[in-house]
Amino acid sequence: MNRLRESSPQRKRQKVSPSLTNEESILYNLIYSKKDIGIWTGDMKRETNLPVTVFNKTLKELMSKSMIKEVTTIQNKGRKHYMAIEFEPSKEITGGNWYTDGKLDTDFIAALKDVCFKYISKQKVSTLDGFLEWSKKNGIFNSEVTPTQVEDIMKTLVLDDAIVEVTSNGYGDFASIPVGRVCYKCKSNVKVKGELKYGLVPYIPCFACPRISFCSPDGVVSPRTCVYYDKWHVLEVIHI
Amino acid sequence: MVSQWGIKFAVHLITNHFGKIVAKVCETLLRQGPLTLELLIRFTELSKEHVKNSLLVLIQHNCVQAFICEGGDVDESRVKTQYLVLFDNILHRPRFPKFMEIVLQELDKHCEKVLEGLLRDGRLTLKQMIDRASQGASQENDSAVVADAVRENLCKLLMARYVERCPAAEVTIVEEEIITKKRGAKSDQNFKAPETTIQRVIEAAVPGDAIRFSLTADTGCNSDEETKPADINVAENNEKEQLILWRVNFEEFLRYLRDKLLIENVRARMDDGAATVVRAMLEATRNVDKRVKIENSVPLELDQLFTEVIKTENGLQMTMDRVKAYLVQLGCSSQISFAYTIDLKHIIHLARNEEVESIVLKRYGRDAYRMFRHLSKEKQFCPTDKIAESTLVEKKEAPKLLNRLLKDNYLHMEKLNVSVVGSNKQTQLLMWRVNQPLLWEYVLDEMYHAALNLSLRMAFEQEKDEEILNVPKDKITASEPLQKKYKRLQNVCLLLGSSLLKLDDALMLFHDF
Repeated sequence: MNRLRESSPQRKRQKVSPSLTNEESILYNLIYSKKDIGIWTGDMKRETNLPVTVFNKTLKELMSKSMIKEVTTIQNKGRKHYMAIEFEPSKEITGGNWYTDGKLDTDFIAALKDVCFKYISKQKVSTLDGFLEWSKKNGIFNSEVTPTQVEDIMKTLVLDDAIVEVTSNGYGDFASIPVGRVCYKCKSNVKVKGELKYGLVPYIPCFACPRISFCSPDGVVSPRTCVYYDKWHVLEVIHI
Repeated sequence: MVSQWGIKFAVHLITNHFGKIVAKVCETLLRQGPLTLELLIRFTELSKEHVKNSLLVLIQHNCVQAFICEGGDVDESRVKTQYLVLFDNILHRPRFPKFMEIVLQELDKHCEKVLEGLLRDGRLTLKQMIDRASQGASQENDSAVVADAVRENLCKLLMARYVERCPAAEVTIVEEEIITKKRGAKSDQNFKAPETTIQRVIEAAVPGDAIRFSLTADTGCNSDEETKPADINVAENNEKEQLILWRVNFEEFLRYLRDKLLIENVRARMDDGAATVVRAMLEATRNVDKRVKIENSVPLELDQLFTEVIKTENGLQMTMDRVKAYLVQLGCSSQISFAYTIDLKHIIHLARNEEVESIVLKRYGRDAYRMFRHLSKEKQFCPTDKIAESTLVEKKEAPKLLNRLLKDNYLHMEKLNVSVVGSNKQTQLLMWRVNQPLLWEYVLDEMYHAALNLSLRMAFEQEKDEEILNVPKDKITASEPLQKKYKRLQNVCLLLGSSLLKLDDALMLFHDF
């Protein structure tokens, strides 16, 4: 979670080092011109036209002088990507707030989701500000969690159908929330783990079967000879 | 237009109920559209007798309607009766137990018995209903008492509109002239989808509401003609009354099931209070609009709605302000002279979306489910990266999942070539969206397919263990292997039967509501 503190990109002024060789300055200027997007070694070789050995040596030199840094891109983790030390990788490179080393921080997201969901379940109804105030007051997070991040989490919980976005009408559960304010409410048909209770067809044998398109009385698979049915019967008998 | 699996499922139902010959006639009508007797004979390659009898069976069970199409360039002497298959009525056949359950709940078991006869035989006269009841009743009961009881139960069913007079045996429709309208903004605004032949025939065949649900025999005259009470001879009238054909009014049952779905959907999404308001609104306007497929509820003034709300147990504690607040939460509009109306189409669409989403969740997992819901809400094309960002799905995983959904027809994709700022390079963006009407049609077809497969499997299971059903019960309990086999068959039938019932609920949601 500490990574969140370093997430805001800060640009510093370009430092021009007088001790650069001609090749070094060609390469450095190219990398610097790409700003927070950075550049792949393959593109660098093509654009500078330097011989491979010279190119490798120059790149190493710039690295040792701490003028450039290697960054991971989410598009292609195998490719070596470089950027001037003054820049922080852009959202296109890192993937955004929720990515660490080019990988989606699923543990962090899951932890935040869990906290938000449990808070709303306990409160029944909550606004975004209400949650932020509570988390600040109780020191829930080690690092600062921005309102935008919490909003992202609330939105994904809505998309998960674990909570719903509603407008307060000032009655019942909404009594403490001003009328018209957007708030979040737990869905009544959601179990603790956010598992859905309803849905008429997904658990019906055949409909849930991935082979349904091949299955017909005269098809590759036939309902009369289908072996998956026995599986369904066994499963259902256990439930009964 | 009925989908391919829809036709196969309907033909399977008819084969099960009436045999292969009737099913062949039915399939030809489903695939070719309305046909004359001669054409039916030619297409089915069956004898005239077979086709005629099949049509009679289908008409008796309300699956076919005869009509004559007049007008146009057709020579009047050559106008012939055509037969139109009623696909919806075929699909209602597996729903009969549901309809009987409704009557049992809303009325009583005697009415249920009358309804059972109508469902089994398709069309019956009062006399036939009385004969049926007399056969079942003990001999001590006087036949007059039985007749009175049947008459009374039929009256109750008619009052509740669960039974109606049979439509005209043959109706005449006039071929519509094709009018070419000027294109323009004004004509677009007033555009209304043209009625299909099925709609026109059904509309023409149904008698006016006044006689459709009336037991008293003002027969012999058109619904538009006035009947003079003095002219009616009581004995003659009774005789005519006995000859009127009655059938089940499927529309009313579907409306009942639709209302139930609407109320339960609102309860699940909101709370009991909102469900009470929706129930009150539907209850109060029940007799005004009897159609199943309506976009909005009939406008109702707040006072009238409140009176209906406080009649219910949950509504007793509600104040007028609270009812108003629920109406706002339901997104009700009150533009028409302080009368409120609920957007029923919106609730149905939400229910359909929930169903499709739950399928996506089960088949493709939670990440795909989130992306699908995001696209459903956006209602526009979205690029891959934007979808992954908004749903917190790994950017490398997102295209794979989206492609799987695309392959199975759950998403629509367009490629967009865009030039990169500051360079001459062109890059291709993949734009995704959910095309709801097309997707719903596709899901409905999948449902027909699953219903057909389930039905076939159920028949196979019963056929396989047929002998065990004929073994006496005490013999089954005495032998352990037999008992095990019997228990398995019971469980299989229970699972497949309940699955079919659930699937049928979903079919109604996508096809009838």
